[in-house]
Amino acid sequence: MSKPVTIIMIEDDEGHARLIERNIRRSGVNNEIKPFTNGTDAVNYLFGTDGSGLPHKGEALLILLDLNLPDMTGIDILRRVKENKYLKCAPVVVLTTTDDSQEIKRCYELGCNVYITKPVNYESFANAIRQLGLFFSVIQVPQAAP
Amino acid sequence: MAVTPAKSSRNAFGQIILLAAGLVVLTVISATSVYLVNKAREDAGWVLHSLEVENEISLAQLQMRRAESSQRGFLLTSRPEFRTAFEEAASQLSPSFERLKALTIDNPYQRERLQQMIPQTNQRMEQLRHGIELTLANRQTEAAEIARQEAGRDAMGQIRDLASEMRGEEDRLFAARTASADASQSLSASITSIGSGLVVVFAGLSIFLVRRSSRARDDAEAQLRDTNLNLESMVEERTGDLREANEEIQRFAYIVSHDLRSPLVNIMGFTSELEELRGDIFKRIATLSRPDEAPPPATEESAAVVEPLLDGPDKQLSQDFTEALGFIKSSIGKMDRLISAILNLTREGRREFQPVPVAMRDLIENIASTMAHQASEADAQIRVEPLPDIVSDRLALEQIFSNLIDNALKYLKPGVPGDIAIRGRRKLGFSIYEITDNGRGIDPKDHQRIFDLFRRAGTQDRPGQGIGLAHVRALVRRLGGTMSVSSELNTGSTFTVTLPATWTGINRDKQA
Repeated sequence: MSKPVTIIMIEDDEGHARLIERNIRRSGVNNEIKPFTNGTDAVNYLFGTDGSGLPHKGEALLILLDLNLPDMTGIDILRRVKENKYLKCAPVVVLTTTDDSQEIKRCYELGCNVYITKPVNYESFANAIRQLGLFFSVIQVPQAAP
Repeated sequence: MAVTPAKSSRNAFGQIILLAAGLVVLTVISATSVYLVNKAREDAGWVLHSLEVENEISLAQLQMRRAESSQRGFLLTSRPEFRTAFEEAASQLSPSFERLKALTIDNPYQRERLQQMIPQTNQRMEQLRHGIELTLANRQTEAAEIARQEAGRDAMGQIRDLASEMRGEEDRLFAARTASADASQSLSASITSIGSGLVVVFAGLSIFLVRRSSRARDDAEAQLRDTNLNLESMVEERTGDLREANEEIQRFAYIVSHDLRSPLVNIMGFTSELEELRGDIFKRIATLSRPDEAPPPATEESAAVVEPLLDGPDKQLSQDFTEALGFIKSSIGKMDRLISAILNLTREGRREFQPVPVAMRDLIENIASTMAHQASEADAQIRVEPLPDIVSDRLALEQIFSNLIDNALKYLKPGVPGDIAIRGRRKLGFSIYEITDNGRGIDPKDHQRIFDLFRRAGTQDRPGQGIGLAHVRALVRRLGGTMSVSSELNTGSTFTVTLPATWTGINRDKQA
């Protein structure tokens, strides 16, 4: 990786965020993780104040996205990311409690790369996140379009 | 227009009164008419009677005149024809008087006249006959002399006066009787016309009342129709409200169960983290409490697995810790299963059903074969009898019957080989299916309870959340059917599912 990948974690539940971060670290991923607890902050960060997404030009980003956010649905963020010319290459991992097949289908249609349901069973949860971490450590993330 | 019962009954009463009055009037008219007609006939009879009397008087006078003139003829000519004519007229006189007697028997005045007239007439006839006898004895001059004397006595004039008196009396009676007959006739005519007028008036009133009440009825009918329409729209509105409420409950259940899951992940996650921490803490306690002993030569992995050696109070502490964590974890597991069940239920509630023709026997046999393993473990047999086919949602039917058969297998009586039978029949457009087992049965007081969400009955020795039957009943309802159970403890149970033979895809909640 020419430039270290930044992991953007959009997760309203701080407990979940902590558990996810811990388990990703346990799998040996040491990339920077930027946590956001609400949609607005995340959107502001991702697309900048002008909403163009220009600030992240040339950066490698990986987005971990929860669908149930207090101020907007993750699906809106997903759509905007995939419509933005700088950000559309960034892999988006939807990590949510919803296992509704309609929702899953919709996310993939909008261009999400991975959809993971958070298992309640912690063993499975930790396992899933660790595997995700391992996955992060091997996948190639493109830089945002110049 | 609202017709009050009191008013309508008053109307009806008025009509009855009118009809009764009409009937009474008609009867009175008829009776009076009959009476008057009889009276008129009687009067006419009396009129006729008077005429007869007059006629008879005239006849009697005529015969007398005839006798007189015949006698005169004989006196002059002595021809026998005149004598014969005289005798003939004389013989006619007495029956004529007899008839007059009979006719005037009711009238003393006439009788008196008649009593005077008859002897005078008889006497006159005797004189006439005497004249004839004198002539026969060739004493014509004597006879002519007598005749001349008699003419002077004017016997004939007295008789004529009497006759005309009688005739006058009869004329008076005739006039009176005619007047009476006229009076009865005109009375009859006027009564008939008054009665007819009354009947016409009553009929008019009746028609008016009938028309008024029929108008009232029309109005009431229109009102009823309006009310019906209103009622329908009200029912529609309520149904809509209920449907909305139902959908809201489903959304609510979905959101709640979904949102409950998030904190649950945290609780579970940090509990597990705590568990890990616990391992670390007690390991440290173990090392610290025995500083003199060498730490056990454990690798990083085995440290978490191998329980550190602890002394009495520390060991107790560790055990309490483990117990607490165990309760927390098992409770979380249970809660998670409940939430998943609610989620599944709401998801089922939102699924669109598709009616398709389903061969029920194949469907049930498929379910039975997927449960063959379970059945053989429970030492049970599943008998599928011929079943009526149905048009309904296949997936829903599969869920209904696999739940019911699964329950039957799950709650068999221990130690008794299970016997589960699926029967079916068709009745009035409905297909009725029965799943009968010889299992442990259900106490009648629990028959309602078993259909409630999260409620179970009997010995709680089988895994389950109390979802199955609630789910089954919800499905059956959505398919437009009903279900019931009949069971006694220890005698097995029969679940009856009644479904429309041809489901059109409109369930009871979505009608209208």
